Amino acid sequence: METLELLTTLTEASGPAGYEHAVTHIVADLWRPWADEIRVDAMGNLIAVQQGTGPQPRRAVMAAAHLDEIGLIVTGFDGEFLRVHSLGGVDRRVLLGLSVRVHSRREIPGVIGSRPPHVLPPSERQNVLPWHEVMIDVGLPAEEVRALVRVGDPVTIRQSTMALKNGRVAGKAMDNRASVAALTLALEALRHREHAWDFYAVATVQEEVGVKGAITSAYGISPTIAVALDVTFARQYNDSNPGVFELGKGPTIGVGPNFHPQMVKRLAEAAESDEIPIELEPLPGSSGTDAWGIQVAREGIPSGLISIPVRYMHQPVETVALVDIERAGRLLAGFVCGLEHGYTPRWEDEV
Amino acid sequence: MDLALLEKLTQTYGPSGYEDAIRAVIGSAIEAVADETRVDPLGSLIGYRRGQGGAHDGKRVILAAHMDEIGLIITHVEEKGFLRFTSIGGVRAAHCIGTRATFANGITGPIYVERRDDASKLPELQHLYLDIGCADRASCPVRVGDTATFVGPLMQRGSRLISKALDDRIGCYVLIEVMRRLDNSAHDVYFAFTTQEEITLSGARTAAYRIEPDIAISVDVTATGDVPKALPMEVSLGQGPAVKVKDGGMIAHPHVRDRLVEAAERAGAPYQMEVLLGGTTDAAAMQLVRSGVPSGCLSIPCRYVHSPSEMVDQGDVEHAIEVLLSLLRETL
Repeated sequence: METLELLTTLTEASGPAGYEHAVTHIVADLWRPWADEIRVDAMGNLIAVQQGTGPQPRRAVMAAAHLDEIGLIVTGFDGEFLRVHSLGGVDRRVLLGLSVRVHSRREIPGVIGSRPPHVLPPSERQNVLPWHEVMIDVGLPAEEVRALVRVGDPVTIRQSTMALKNGRVAGKAMDNRASVAALTLALEALRHREHAWDFYAVATVQEEVGVKGAITSAYGISPTIAVALDVTFARQYNDSNPGVFELGKGPTIGVGPNFHPQMVKRLAEAAESDEIPIELEPLPGSSGTDAWGIQVAREGIPSGLISIPVRYMHQPVETVALVDIERAGRLLAGFVCGLEHGYTPRWEDEV
Repeated sequence: MDLALLEKLTQTYGPSGYEDAIRAVIGSAIEAVADETRVDPLGSLIGYRRGQGGAHDGKRVILAAHMDEIGLIITHVEEKGFLRFTSIGGVRAAHCIGTRATFANGITGPIYVERRDDASKLPELQHLYLDIGCADRASCPVRVGDTATFVGPLMQRGSRLISKALDDRIGCYVLIEVMRRLDNSAHDVYFAFTTQEEITLSGARTAAYRIEPDIAISVDVTATGDVPKALPMEVSLGQGPAVKVKDGGMIAHPHVRDRLVEAAERAGAPYQMEVLLGGTTDAAAMQLVRSGVPSGCLSIPCRYVHSPSEMVDQGDVEHAIEVLLSLLRETL
């Protein structure tokens, strides 16, 4: 499958935090041809295993990309309208004018609007709506809305993924389906390449509400080392912050207390030997990614992070460069192939 | 309702980390209705009921209610005998002024606020003090690190119950009643009366680690949207227990949530769906134990949570008991 088609399939699917199952099915179908074993754990994490070629006992490397996207959740009713709140870190400034899917017993289309500018007092025109005034209109009268929709039903944004010029793609849920796409490419590449270690590809759940799937899947798999794949901030208009990275210039490799220095070193070496451009991304505390949950699972798991730059994060027009996704997949595959039998990251080697 | 039991549960001292007295009260209440009881290393009391279903039909289920309550901890004794304190759990200064706090040994005094130049702003805990009637530091029997809880006797107004510590002694009450009435469940049920929920959810976390359950359900209080100028929330007192969908710390597992809904419908009990914007329960910790535990929560709607006068409805409590009994009678 071409990367654009893969990314479109993944990003257009609906899977907000806690309700990822529809996307899990899609990814399971994509991964099954490349996996020796595939399963879903108690939290809903999708786990694909590729056995390594090294002698037993073999070590295991886990790669995690979160499957969930941010969304909304129905919190109540106001007449014919649905009151909602955020499921994950939703940017309330971009809600007006959206089309949405309300995932009730069956899916119901809806829109989010507000009073028109003509009738708004000037003082209110500049304001972002508070949550208790964000309403979804599904077109039904009040009593029918209450019969169809329950408090707690999840809501996702309806958005088609669109190819821009120059290999760039815009849509919702690039955070983090871009990484799921990269992980899919790595899984496919590793099927055709020899790797000594067992490889666990994990599409994790509930990252957006506290890296929860990463915490439990790392415990269950108990890998020797792990790499998380996530998105990072790409340079965009009016943004001169130092912590942003150019689109199309390759993925980043996280550096900081969340990451074992040998994971950073080996990822950088893998990039160099496969001539993949990367940038080092300093993350001085929590990376806010699955790597944060994985690092402290069980007795501690040396972890690394590969990030794909994205513009307009947590807005429905998140924009990525396809080449960054492909390079992230190649980087991960090269890193896994480079893990020699018997290798253990040791702090003693750092001193 | 067994109001004598509820009175004992709500009035017994037990801030987070100091649950000895309340554990003894619950221990004697469940002794006759548990196959086994044990106290785990962090102090949670586990009452076990063996299931009849065997390995195939029977699941390992935790029902958790926390026995700790919010409280105060003394940080400083002033020269003139006034006690300064900080909170154990989510204590808000505005709820404290003019109320009374009591120590484990029964010493009790009013909480008041120092005079401030700008009284238009809400006070913070650092502006409050506890006055137990001491003339000076030397004669003060209270030391730094001593803990206290609110004074708030149990009273009944029609179907409503008012007391301190209904968060979450009402959950403990529900669990005890379920233990008393439960017969013939296929499931191995662990009734966990947990510690330290109000500060870190620690008791539930470690209890669940040891028990390794298939399913975990907390029974705790939730806020309501039915008081003047409340933030919109679709939960009201007296409309039945609430099946949690999401709170500040957890999205309930859809399977567990649906089983609770079905159990309520089977029992003919009214119920409400709950999305709580802030706060969480033991279920959030149990969910992440080991490789993950499908978790949910059945909530008792409660007004004035974390004040000395929390209020619940007896009908909601009774229906919560019925929902849990109905749940445990079926396949999970």
